[in-house]
This record gives sequence, C-alpha cells and structure tokens, in this order.
Amino acid sequence: MSTRMELASTVVEDAVSPGPSAGLAGSAGSSAIFEIQDLNVYYRDFHAVTDTSLNIYQNEITALIGPSGCGKSTVLRCLNRMNDLIDGARVEGRVTYHGIDLYGSSVDPVEVRRRVGMVFQKPNPFPKSIYENIVFGPRVAGWKGNFDDLVEETLVRAALWDEVKDKLENSAFDLSGGQQQRLCIARAIATSPDVVLMDEPCSALDPIATYRIETLMRELKKQYTIVVVTHNMQQAARVSDRTAFFSVDVGEEGQRTGRLVEYDMTDRVFTAPSMKETEDYITGRFG
Amino acid sequence: MSDQRPDFHAALKSLEETTLSMADKVEGMVAMAIRSLVNSDKTLVSQVIADDDVVDEIYMEIRSRWMNIMARQQPMGRDLRMMAAILEMNNTLERMGDQSVNIARIAGLTAGLPREETILAKLQEMGDLLKPMIRTAIDAFGRRDADECLLLPAMDVPVDVLNRSMWKHVVACGNDPQLLEWATRMILVSRALERVGDQAVDIGEQVAFLLTGDHQEFLRFHDYDAD
Amino acid sequence: MATRTIGSGSTAVTQDMLRRALEGRKVNVINPLVALTLLISLLASLAILVVLLWDVVAKSMPVWQERGWSVITNDLSPRPEETGMVQGIFGSVMLTVVVVILSFPLGVAAAIYLEEYARDTRLTRILVANIRNLAGVPSIVYGLLGLTVFVKLILEGMVGQLSGRTLIAGGMTLSMLVLAIMVITTQEALRAVPMALREASYGVGATPWQTIRHHVLPVASPAIFTGSVLTLARAFGESAPLLLAGAVLSTFFAAPEGTPITSLVMSEKYTALPIIIYNWSRQPQTEYIALTAAAIVALLVILLVVNAGTILARDALERRRIR
Repeated sequence: MSTRMELASTVVEDAVSPGPSAGLAGSAGSSAIFEIQDLNVYYRDFHAVTDTSLNIYQNEITALIGPSGCGKSTVLRCLNRMNDLIDGARVEGRVTYHGIDLYGSSVDPVEVRRRVGMVFQKPNPFPKSIYENIVFGPRVAGWKGNFDDLVEETLVRAALWDEVKDKLENSAFDLSGGQQQRLCIARAIATSPDVVLMDEPCSALDPIATYRIETLMRELKKQYTIVVVTHNMQQAARVSDRTAFFSVDVGEEGQRTGRLVEYDMTDRVFTAPSMKETEDYITGRFG
Repeated sequence: MSDQRPDFHAALKSLEETTLSMADKVEGMVAMAIRSLVNSDKTLVSQVIADDDVVDEIYMEIRSRWMNIMARQQPMGRDLRMMAAILEMNNTLERMGDQSVNIARIAGLTAGLPREETILAKLQEMGDLLKPMIRTAIDAFGRRDADECLLLPAMDVPVDVLNRSMWKHVVACGNDPQLLEWATRMILVSRALERVGDQAVDIGEQVAFLLTGDHQEFLRFHDYDAD
Repeated sequence: MATRTIGSGSTAVTQDMLRRALEGRKVNVINPLVALTLLISLLASLAILVVLLWDVVAKSMPVWQERGWSVITNDLSPRPEETGMVQGIFGSVMLTVVVVILSFPLGVAAAIYLEEYARDTRLTRILVANIRNLAGVPSIVYGLLGLTVFVKLILEGMVGQLSGRTLIAGGMTLSMLVLAIMVITTQEALRAVPMALREASYGVGATPWQTIRHHVLPVASPAIFTGSVLTLARAFGESAPLLLAGAVLSTFFAAPEGTPITSLVMSEKYTALPIIIYNWSRQPQTEYIALTAAAIVALLVILLVVNAGTILARDALERRRIR
C-alpha cells in the first residue's frame, strides 16, 4: 500500500473504527463515513430534495432507491460535490465526510472527488486506450509510481484483467458494455478512493453483465465503501447492506420534491419495512 | 459457463446444508424415540425433547434465511424449485421431530405400566422399516437422486400395513385395564410412526419436484384401498 | 377457411377484416409530391451554381489559352496583356495568416470560457446573444471599424505610421469579422462533447483545466478545426472591409524590376485577390472581362482546394483519435 496514493491516507486513518457497523441506520455510536443532516438541495427555484438525514457506513453497500424524481441521484451527487457542475445547484444542511464539512468554504471539490470516486449510469470510458483510462486519474493527482503495476493491480481488482490484459492499448470502446462499465469501476478505484459512488451502474447492461457488476461490488466493499443509486429495487435487495427509500411529493404546480421515507438494513426493508409507503412501493402498489 | 452469482449460490448451498443437518438430527430423534419406548429409557426421552428444541431453532433459522434469500435474490428455475423444496422439507422435518417427541412423551408416561411383547415387536419392526426410509429420503435430496425417491412409496407400504394391523393386537390384550391403557397409547405411537413414514415419502415428492419440475403425488398404500 | 376472430371485445375483427386492413395499400399522392418539390428546390440551387461556374469558366477560357500560367504568376501591370494576380494571391494568403494568428486563439479561448467556465447567468446569456449578432453584422461595417480604429486611431494615430492602411490593419479588420463566427463554431464544437465525458473526468478528480485539456479539446478539435478553416475561407474571399481598411496597391501598379514579392506585400502596399477581382471588373477594356473571370476561377479553385483539404485532414484526425 505504501506505493499507492498517499492522498487518502491522512483522512482515512483518522476514522474512528473500521468494519461494518451492525447498528441500525442513524443510530448513535456507529462509525459513519458520511453524515448527512437536514439536507436540502435546490436547482435554482426547484426544490429537489427536502430534509434528508442519513449516515453512510464504512465497508458497506448502501442502496438509494425510489421512483423517478425522488432525489436519490441528487443525494448521491452531494457526496462528491458533483452537483457543483450544475449551474444553479444549491445545497443546504450539513454533509460531513469523516467529520469534515464537505461544503465548507475551504474544501476543494477536486480533492473530494479523488477520495470519493464515481461510476455513472451509462458506461463512459474516456475515448482513449484501456491503459490511459486507468492511469488518467492517478496521473492528474500527481501520483508517482509504476503505472504498469497500477494498471494491472486495478484491473485485477475490477475483475477485468484476464479479459483485457492482451489489449491494454486498444480503445476502451472496443469492449462490451459490461466490460466498459467494469473499466469505469476500475478507473474509479485507480485513485485509491475511500468511497465509490455508483449512479445506476447497471441500467444500461444486460442481466449477466449486471450480475457480474453486483458480484464485483460485493467483492469491492471489503476495501471500499459503496453507495449505489438504482431504480431496480431487486438490485438493491441483492447487493446492499442498507437501503434508503426515497419518495417524491408532487406540489400544487407539479413541482417534484424528493424525501427520505425509510432507511434501514436491507433485510428489513425488503421483508418487513416499517413505513407503509415503503411497503406499497416494494410491493408495486404505488402511483 | 461460470457462475455469475456466486454469493447467492453459496447462500443457497449453505441453506441446503443446514436443511440436511436438520434432517440428520431428526433421523436420530426418530430412532432415539423408538429406543426410549422399547427400553423404557427416561434419559433418551429427555434427550429427544432436548433435541427437538434444537430442531425448532434450526427450523426458525431456516425460515428467516429462506425469507431473506427469497426477498433479496429472486431465485429462478432450479434455484426456485430448491427454495420451494427446502421450505416444504423444513416444515416436514419439523413435524417429524414433533412426532418423535410425541413418541418419547408416551414412552415416559407408560414407563411403569405392563407391556405386551408382540406389540413392542411390531413397533420395533416399524422403527426398523422407517430407519432406511428416512435415510433414503435424505440421501435422495442430498444426492439429487430421482431413482431413490421413487423407492419410498413401496418402502412405506409395510409400515402402513403394520399400523393397520395394530388394533388387532390391542384387542387381543384382554381386560387388564393397565395393559389396555398401555396398549391404547401404543396405538398413538403406531399412528405417529405411520405419519413419519408418510413424511419421508413427502420429502421424496419434494425431491422429485426439485429434479423434474413436476408436482407429483406418489401413489401410496391407502390409494390402493378398495374398502 | 373458417373465420377466425382476432382480438376480443369491441375491437375484435375477423381474419378477413385484418387482411383487408393490412393489405389495403392505398396510392399516396402527398408524399411523392412533397419529395418532388424538395428535389426541384435542390436542383434549382444547384443549377444556379452550375450556370455561374460555367459562365466564369467559359469567359476565362481565352485568357488561359493565350496567357497560360502567366496570368497567375505575373505582377500587376497597367497593360492588360501582361498583368497577373500573384500579388493578390500572396496578399490574401498573408492576410489569412494574420487572421489565423489573431482570431483562432482568441476565438477558441473565448468559446472555452463561455462553454466551460462561465456560469449560466444573465450576463453570460447577453454576451452570447451579442456574439451571435456580431456574426451577422455586414462586413462593410467591419471595414469602417477597421478604418477608424486600426488604420486611423492605432496605426496612424498612436504608432505614427504615415499610412495605416497596411496588411496588418487589413488582417486585424478581417480578424474582427471572423472572430464572432469563430467563437460560435467553437462553442458548438464544445457543446457537442458529451457531458458524460466531463463527468467522467471530474469524477476521477481532474481539475476543470485538466478536463478541458485532456478530454474536451481532443474530442472537439476536429470540429473546431473544420469550423475554423471554413471561417478562414470566408475571410479569404472577403473584399468589402479591405476596400476601406487596406489593399491600396494600385490596379496598374508595376513593381520595379527585381523587387521581391515579399517586400512588396509586407511594406504598406498590398492587395488581395478579391480586390483584384473587384478592380478588374470595373475596367472598361474588354480584355478585363476575361481577366476578371480568370481571377474568379483562381479564387474558387483555392477555396475548393482548401475546403477539400480540410475535410480530408479532419477525417484523418478522427481516424487517428480513438473513436
């Protein structure tokens, strides 16, 4: 690990206690990587997410589910300040990462994103070689080391090495959709992040590619913390340790505001949720 | 074709193994219950009752794990049939355990009463017939062996015959009220053993469903009944 | 065949009904009519172009037959049978070089700022709208601007040149003319780069500049390149601003024997190909009719070669870049 990126180490080692927490969502005393308190997100006049509080725990997969427009992606994008890229986005409330206010005035979003990587809905590899896709992140972060080793190590971890080891210089676009998405996951972990955010990572993939990514996710959670947004609740049920269910309130003028309904262990949410709204959603009695 | 869902299949395998270990436990309980009766062994009686608590715990654990796999993994095809078979087997095995407890309780209650050797011998014979039946049912499940489960209905026939003949031996006991009490209770034991045999056949049916995908009821002795 | 019912309830039909519905292909009048109208429009515009080309080529034929290459390579001369357009071609090329140096970096940089850095505020929107307006301003207006600002104010006033109507002034004027178009084409090229690519780059912790430098510009560059060259081609053929802000070389100027063409153009006296066309077309002598046509053919050939070259170069660029 010593040759790997040093960037993340300082903050991570300050974390109180590693390992999955058995406590219930939001309960005091569990070691949370992210603490979200009273989060409200606006896009100009549009209130996208209202009064959301939840904690994300280390080495777990947390799934955010809910109908379209429920703000699950918005909440996800608050965790690496990806919302900054959208004009007119405004975040209220508190999002802390290892106790540090992510939206503090002196926080550099670039540094945040080096520690909190992201995988997107559609596989979006850079239009470059497989090799270049992996090394870009570490290179711009000023990482010094053997890039060949880094590429191999990263691709092995992303369960892609055997499939691409003989064509590292080929275009990333030569890969299949599922392979491209695993390359994107590899790219996200190449910078040795602490957390990997996944925004509907399998929605463009077929079931087999989806299962592969889910298996990879469970493998990766041993080393990383994963937050995944999915509109496929079966996927949330399959992979996640905790599930947050968001719903959407439609206002008088049709404005849609997302709201957290329930956050609990996934077993619980899918077998006996405590909120009627959650039960209606997972049993298909909504709308 | 490599396994794309290793975690799910590992969980399913582990659930199957737990079911098999529960079956082993129940098999031992049935044998112990008969021995406690034949030998009037009070230690074995309490052993059977203690084992049933363990079986009940496993039963609850399987139910909750079953529920989680169902809710989270959406099993399909062979996996779905396995889940159905496991749920049925879990219920069946739990009831076989309960029958063992019934027999052991009767053994405890009748310990001081006079006994009739013919009846005891018949019950022992039923027990001896059941032992390989239960083993066959468990093995058929463990080994996915369709041929073995097809043997079960035939193996059950002598058990049913013995059970039906039991009343004759009870009537033959005469007028001694204490012996009559003992013999009447032995009817219940015989009935319980007959049930255990049926339940072994039930397991066989579940295995056949698991292997073929067709729900089928095996022909049983009472199906041949004309009267 | 027995009648089969397809569907159920009120929408149920027999197979025969379904067959009639599916096989009842009617003669459609509107569609071919529309297609024909559109085709005629296309052919009409093509025909105009062909007539125009045919006209100039035919008119210029005598010059090519009698003079050969000398009409291209000769200097300007008061005598129509000796005159040539090399000074104009060289002047136009030099003007284009000035335009490239001035407007390309400025235009691309402005577009990058607007697309990648500027927040979407009211001010930005006003700015963008005005750039679009500037692109539509008639070129003669830029000529006036060039004359007052570059020629009079800066070169003659501030620098103190005797005559400010130099190639630099002309080039700066043409740069102003194409700058807005350059900004717009570059903006469009940048906008065509998928947001997903930027997100991917930001997602691994790249800064805005790293994102632009390594991902956005490489993807946008073929489109920027093509747009720029087409814009420059416009500058190459522009005459009105130059009439006001430069190109003072006389139509009949004969260079002293042995004067190198470069020094002629780089000194204050220069001309451009469109200006030569303009001047020759105003001459009363009949020889100039064919000469004008020849100059037009020369201009068109140069533009055609440049445009074709651009398209080939862009294709090569895109092939080299990994898809």
